[in-house]
Amino acid sequence: MGKLDGKVAVVTGGASGIGLATAMLLAAESAKLVIVDFDQPALDAAVPIIGGDVTTFRCDVSKISDLKALGAVIGERHGRVDILFVNAGNVRPIPFEAVTESDFDFTVDVNLKGAFFTVHALLPLMQAGSSIILNTSIQSVKAFPGFSVYAATKAAIRSLARTLTAELGPKGIRTNAVAPGYIATEIRRKAGWTEEMIREDDLRIAAEVPIRRGGMPEDIAKAVLFLASDEADYISGVELTVDGGVAQI
Amino acid sequence: MERQTGKVVVITGGASGIGLATAKLFASKGAIVIIADLDRAALDAAASIIDGDVDVLSCDVSRISDLQALRAHIEKKHGHVDVVFANAGSGRPGPFEATTEEDFDFTVDTNLKGTFFTVQTLLPLMRPGSSIILNTSIQSVKGFPGFTVYAATKAAIRSLARTLTAELGPKGIRTNAVAPGYINTDIRRKVGMSEEMIREDNHRLETEVPLKRLGSPALTAVGEPEEIAKAVLFLASEEADYISGIEIAVDGGTSQI
Repeated sequence: MGKLDGKVAVVTGGASGIGLATAMLLAAESAKLVIVDFDQPALDAAVPIIGGDVTTFRCDVSKISDLKALGAVIGERHGRVDILFVNAGNVRPIPFEAVTESDFDFTVDVNLKGAFFTVHALLPLMQAGSSIILNTSIQSVKAFPGFSVYAATKAAIRSLARTLTAELGPKGIRTNAVAPGYIATEIRRKAGWTEEMIREDDLRIAAEVPIRRGGMPEDIAKAVLFLASDEADYISGVELTVDGGVAQI
Repeated sequence: MERQTGKVVVITGGASGIGLATAKLFASKGAIVIIADLDRAALDAAASIIDGDVDVLSCDVSRISDLQALRAHIEKKHGHVDVVFANAGSGRPGPFEATTEEDFDFTVDTNLKGTFFTVQTLLPLMRPGSSIILNTSIQSVKGFPGFTVYAATKAAIRSLARTLTAELGPKGIRTNAVAPGYINTDIRRKVGMSEEMIREDNHRLETEVPLKRLGSPALTAVGEPEEIAKAVLFLASEEADYISGIEIAVDGGTSQI
C-alpha cells in the first residue's frame, strides 16, 4: 500500500514527459489517477504505462467549458480531488520583436489562463489536506532570449502559488510550485531536432549544470510526490527548483 | 526515502529541537546518527531516548579544534560521512542600537563561522552522492525587529548553499538549505527573548501563517520540529538527486506571501 492510498490525483498534460512520469510515480504510490491532455492517442497509450486506476480526459485547458466538463467527470467518478498537478504548458520560442498577438495568446491561454482556470474549476472538489502543485520553470527567475512570453507566464504562475496560499491556506489547502531546469523530454525531438543536435545540447547542458547532468522527468516527478504527500504538510507557497543547481548560482 | 540504512548522518545542535527531531527521524529510517551539541545533559538525554544507532559528542561549532576532534572521531569509527545537517545555531535578539560587538561575535561565530567550518572540516570525509543541508530560517528573507545579526547570518548561510553548489556540485555533492518558519521549540527561551519580543512573536504567529491544518486538534498554525525533519530527510535522500543550491521554506506559507 503506497503513501497515497485512497487519494485522487489529477495531472494535466499527463500523457507525456514530466506529466506522464509524475502520473506513473503517483500511481506507484497507490493514487487513483485522472490524466488530462490535448492529445487523445497519447492519452490512450499512457493508460497501460501508468497502471492502476487511471481515467483519461481529452481536454483543451484553454477552454473553460472543457475544464468544467472535466470537473463534472471527476465529480461523477471520484467525487473529490486530493492532488492536482497543473502541468499542461506550451512553448513557442520567438524573438520579442517578432511575437504576434497569436503567438502571445497561444502561450498565455494554456500556461497562465489554462493553469488559473484548471485550479478554479477543480477547487470545489478539493478539501482540507489537499495539495496543488503548479509546474513553473527556472525561467520564472531566469532570462533566455526568445522566451519572453513563456518566462512571463512561468513567473505569473509562481505568483499564483503565493496568492493561492494566502487565500486557500486558511482552508487547509496547500499550493506550491515546482520549477524544472533543463529536463530531457521528447520536446526536442518533437520540435524536429536531429540526434546530433540533441547530443550536443546534452553536452552543453552537462557542462553548465553544477551537478553535471541534464534532468530526467523522474527528477521532477519525485519533487511533485514530495509536495503532494504528508512529508510536505507545513510547506505552502514555495517554488521548489529541481535544476541541478543551474539557476541557483 | 526509506533508504537511509547504513548512511552516516551528522547533525550539529542535534540534542534538542529541530536537530533532535531530525536525528530521531533518520535513526528510524536505519541511519547511523552522530549528534554534536554544546549541551552535555541534553546529549545524554538524546542518546537514551533515540531508538537506533546513535553516537553523541560534545562540540562547540564555533571552535575549529572541536570540529576537528569531531571529524577524527567519525573518521576512526565510520570512515566517511553521507549527510551533514549543519543545524547548530543561536542568537541574541535585541534592538540594533543596543547590539554590542560581543553580541555580534557570539551570533556570527556560532551561526556563520560555525556552519562554514562544520562543512569545511567534514568535507574530506564526504564522497560523491553525499548531501549537505544547512538550517537557515525565514529570517533569511524577512525583517523582524530585534534580529539584525541573526537574520544576516541566515541570509549568509543561504548564500553558502549556492556557492557550495557551484564548487562541490561537480564533485557529486549537493548542498541545500531548509528555512523553518515558526516552529514549536525552546529557542525563544534559549536565546533570551524578552517578554515583549515573545508577545510580538506570538502575535505574528496568529496573524501571519496562512496555512491552517484542519482535522486534528493538535495542529495549529505553528510548525512542529518534525515538519522540518521531513524536509531534511527529503533533501538528503535520492528523491532530491537533482536538487541543489535551493532554500526550501517550511513555514506554512509565512514568508511566501
